Amino acid sequence: MNETGLHELSEKLIGTEIKAELLRLFHMNPGILDTVESIARRIGRMPKDVETEIVTLVDLGVLRKERFGKLDVLSLNTSKDREVQEKLAALIEGGVKQ
Amino acid sequence: MRAPTGISELDAMLHGGLMRGDVTLVVGSAGTGKTTLALQYLVNGATKFNENGLYITFEQMPAQIYRDAASFGWDIRKLEAEGKIRVVCTSPPVLVQFVEQRNPIDAMIEEINAKRIVIDSISHLEAFIPASELRGELYRLINHLKMKELTSVFTAESHEVFGDRLMVTGVGLSFLVDCIILLRIVEIQSSLKKALTILKIRGSDHDKQLREFEITSQGIKIGVSFKDLEGLLTGTPRRTSEERFAEAFAKAARKGK
Repeated sequence: MNETGLHELSEKLIGTEIKAELLRLFHMNPGILDTVESIARRIGRMPKDVETEIVTLVDLGVLRKERFGKLDVLSLNTSKDREVQEKLAALIEGGVKQ
Repeated sequence: MRAPTGISELDAMLHGGLMRGDVTLVVGSAGTGKTTLALQYLVNGATKFNENGLYITFEQMPAQIYRDAASFGWDIRKLEAEGKIRVVCTSPPVLVQFVEQRNPIDAMIEEINAKRIVIDSISHLEAFIPASELRGELYRLINHLKMKELTSVFTAESHEVFGDRLMVTGVGLSFLVDCIILLRIVEIQSSLKKALTILKIRGSDHDKQLREFEITSQGIKIGVSFKDLEGLLTGTPRRTSEERFAEAFAKAARKGK
């Protein structure tokens, strides 16, 4: 179960290069409060390439999406992010012990 | 009534500090120290005056701000962890979104009970908001911050490094703000020096001198006013007529000997 869980979670979190870049961006700059277009620009990517990856991170709860007027604004959900990181750490530890 | 910047010489020039609840524009060309002055105002607010603050940046990433601030001995990450400062990296269209009188940054203002805010730099709004709407959006934003009783500092870029023209923005921002602090680079005897002056404060007297300042390892340090020079704001000052007369007199006296 541990190995499968670890694989699934790590796949969801850092399964692609763009997702890893997004996580790195938000971890280094936790105060980002921005649109998909601007976030894509900040990692040097096109919006269409980051959209699906952002949806996954929003579904996981790591990123928060709020609607303001015409804009969807994204930010890091710090408490959920910490929780996911702890879960990942515990799974890795469990995997190592096995 | 006043929100001290914590830069003692500047507070003296302002007759005690920025007027509480007002919007101050710090304008200057690239490299004049606008961001340093704005950060120093927030850090001093949080560490010396028990006033928490929000720092809004558009292009510069927070990681870079943490690093640059650390070079002045300001630990922004620590102040963020203590809930005294929040660095928010966003884009102009987000900052001017209002839904049912709520703005995306309102939650953060409330979260840390912010009394001070810096927007660095307001010039970026020009690139994202249509010119026909810009003045109205700025007016709305300024009033929103005033309603929240924040003492605000906006930075703005002036494109002319030297010269006798000073253009802050094309939308009359200088009329919307309450106070303007101008930072300028001037050439004196083949050296580039930094100069600071207060152009206006609504409803208060202020020091009208042009002072030399330096960016030291502790932040902005303001010195004395430039003596015996005029035309400093053109970037290429000349000696005052009194100074020219004194030199001519001394020269004549030397010839006569």
